[in-house]
Amino acid sequence: MATCTPFAPTTTEPAAQLDVAGDLLALLRDAGTEPRADVQLEALTLAVAADLPVLLWGEPGIGKTAALTQLAAALDLPLTTVIASVHEPSDFSGLPIVGDDPAAQGVPMAPPDWAVRLVRAGRGLLFLDELSTAPPAVQAALLRLVLERRIGALQLPPGVRIVAAANPRSSAADGWELSPPLANRFVHLQWAHDHEVVVRGLGGTWPRATLPRLDPRRLPEAVDFARRAVCGLLSARPTLVHRLPTNETRRGGPWPSPRSWEMTLHLIAFATAAGSSREVLSLLVRGTVGDGPGLELLASLDRMDLPDPEDVLADPAGAVLPERGDLRQAVLDGVVAAVRARPDRSRWDAAWSLLVRALETGAPDLVVVPATTLASLRQEDWDVPDTIERLAGVVSLSRRADQAAARTTAAAAKTGRRNAR
Amino acid sequence: MPANAAAPESRQSAGDARGSLRPLDLDKLFTARLQAARARPYLATALFALHIVESRQVPTMSVDRHWRCYASPAFVDRTPVEELAGVWVHEVSHLLRDHHGRSDRLAREQGLTGPGERLRMNIAADCEINDDVYGDGLAEPEGVVRPDTLRLPEGQLMEEYLSRFRLGPWMQDLAWLDCGSGADGLEREWELGPDGARGLSAQERDAVRFRVAQGIRARPGRTPEGWRRWAEDAFHPPQPWRELLGAAVRSAASGSGAGEDYTYGRPARRSAGVPGVVLPSLRRRPPRVCVVIDTSGSVSDAELGSALLEVAAISQAVGGRRDLVTVVPCDAAARIVHPLCRGEGIPLMGGGGTDLRTGFAKALRARPRPDVVVVLTDGQTPWPESRPPCRTVVGLFPRGLASGAYDENDPDYVPDAPPEWARVVEIGSASPSR
Repeated sequence: MATCTPFAPTTTEPAAQLDVAGDLLALLRDAGTEPRADVQLEALTLAVAADLPVLLWGEPGIGKTAALTQLAAALDLPLTTVIASVHEPSDFSGLPIVGDDPAAQGVPMAPPDWAVRLVRAGRGLLFLDELSTAPPAVQAALLRLVLERRIGALQLPPGVRIVAAANPRSSAADGWELSPPLANRFVHLQWAHDHEVVVRGLGGTWPRATLPRLDPRRLPEAVDFARRAVCGLLSARPTLVHRLPTNETRRGGPWPSPRSWEMTLHLIAFATAAGSSREVLSLLVRGTVGDGPGLELLASLDRMDLPDPEDVLADPAGAVLPERGDLRQAVLDGVVAAVRARPDRSRWDAAWSLLVRALETGAPDLVVVPATTLASLRQEDWDVPDTIERLAGVVSLSRRADQAAARTTAAAAKTGRRNAR
Repeated sequence: MPANAAAPESRQSAGDARGSLRPLDLDKLFTARLQAARARPYLATALFALHIVESRQVPTMSVDRHWRCYASPAFVDRTPVEELAGVWVHEVSHLLRDHHGRSDRLAREQGLTGPGERLRMNIAADCEINDDVYGDGLAEPEGVVRPDTLRLPEGQLMEEYLSRFRLGPWMQDLAWLDCGSGADGLEREWELGPDGARGLSAQERDAVRFRVAQGIRARPGRTPEGWRRWAEDAFHPPQPWRELLGAAVRSAASGSGAGEDYTYGRPARRSAGVPGVVLPSLRRRPPRVCVVIDTSGSVSDAELGSALLEVAAISQAVGGRRDLVTVVPCDAAARIVHPLCRGEGIPLMGGGGTDLRTGFAKALRARPRPDVVVVLTDGQTPWPESRPPCRTVVGLFPRGLASGAYDENDPDYVPDAPPEWARVVEIGSASPSR
């Protein structure tokens, strides 16, 4: 066109404009990373490494996909994301292909292209996103994929790991919820965003999680530890083995059963071999057998960490008592209980020297109850050891506490039990 | 920390202490802890798990969320042992009841920012603790904030107290009150923070709370009601009933036969690509919801109104149209079926006894039949013997004791529990664990 318009100069360089936009985008994308411990990501990595189906519960848009990308990079697996809600059931159960003679040859169910590529690669990370917004029939088809690892006639190779994501029940528009048998097959991980991470990331520095590595030398020890932990708890608490959720709030969540306990055992072994923290293990265990049984397991792990009463009695001078008051008291109580179970002069003396050590290295009020119990175990021909003198402070502390209690009771009686209720 | 009537004075002496630098009387503090543990044996684990930090900046005693307990030497000096024992239990209660977590949640959900709001949270949390923590061997420190200080009823939760008072000039005496970030979630300058020495990690904190709760559940004997309730819920904070009811109705309404799903009733358009094969297509059939409302005298209009609105909103969210929601008011006899689209003016007449069986019958006689029946009731009614031919959600208004109602004329009367085939959501139990 010959006519010149005021816009003419700019129309000559649209490509240049896009280049500038490209530069701007490149600048925006240019973000650094910093190492940062990420407990949720570590838990996810361990569960995926243990080849257990993981279900991430989290609101949309909080970085589940970003986490999966990082996980895939860490495990060195190609990532395939499938948005469940835009597929039909036949995409997961296979599309029927009619041959020449269906009666003779049957109707083969053809898998979709991404599944074929996954099988051909032999390994990969399959991320099934938005499970909860898919219609029930799609979910049913997907669950077969997750649990049996089959897509139509295709069997996914063992090198493929599967992670699913769902929106929490309360925010899912069509309220999909897992039936108890299905919920029992997943490791449930609650995915939440960390405010600080998001702010720092938008400012240009995203976290780079250092992911756990399994230590080949620790494998036998890890299996042994995991077996002792789970069997120890379940033999003491048989009712924890199987407990169906009855409460409306706990529906669709993890619950204990022999299957989920076996998953827990695997997870403990993986976490031990990777040297993960208790925080990570706590997420995994509570996400597999539920909060109550999970916390009981963790509590019994804490007890496994405490020194064995018999070892302490054998060498009271060398015993290392925990710093934390409640754990220290558990050790002292355990030692006194061991003496009570098999009373003998030398064990009784050893317990006294341990109490003196506890008094010299920590809070005196912890020693009162074990000392009282231990004193009551004395048999007639046992002489009081000399070390007991050093516990005089404990006796006076106990007496002062008694006096204070007596004053409280007297005051309460005077005010006519005003505060009784 | 409980408010002390002698507050300005106490700040004074804290200043004095800074001059003289008296060391913290640990022995006295430990004596008080021993007395507290003897008076409340079920809290011993938690009391012993606290790590004491001497601090000259804290006005009295306070805790942070990492289970450190800060104590002012001057405060410990001038407070008698028996009152210190009460303070110990008070402070550990903040941590056990997760007041910092609940405060943070409130701050986030309701946008409560600033030190004033955090002070209100601290006061509300103190009210929750102080109404049942003292007595029975534990002295009540002078001038603690109790609900009646604020002219509020006893026995409520921090969240409920918080919504019912504002800071005002008459609360001047409380302005210095400070239990630390363990009570209201706001970090203080004297606190050591997450990286400081000997704090408990999140998992360790849960473990301690769990052990205390387990101890209470194992030996409920002499434990006060408030603590027993806490132990029941400590690790299963009840969800807001709106979400639970919503989830129940949604999952009932999107079950087979209703909602959105694949059907072979009409082939998918994809079938054209695979000649000779019938593929299902996605069809949508909005669910019909029938709400049976117990209008007997025992359920208040406000309760019914809020629950009914909730059901209407939920059924709309699942794709139901307003005209597909019907309402059956029911006391001893079921009245007429009202479509919800006739405005809000459904007459909820009634009173007296209830027999929900007539309500069920009425709801199921409707043509076309509802996909979901939602029953809103206080549960003081006989239930149908057999499972009705559609999904049932029961919204239950809790009444009195958990064990059910008590009838003066017939003490043995226990109303039937909702049947097993119904999904039961307790309405009005929106509060988090205490």
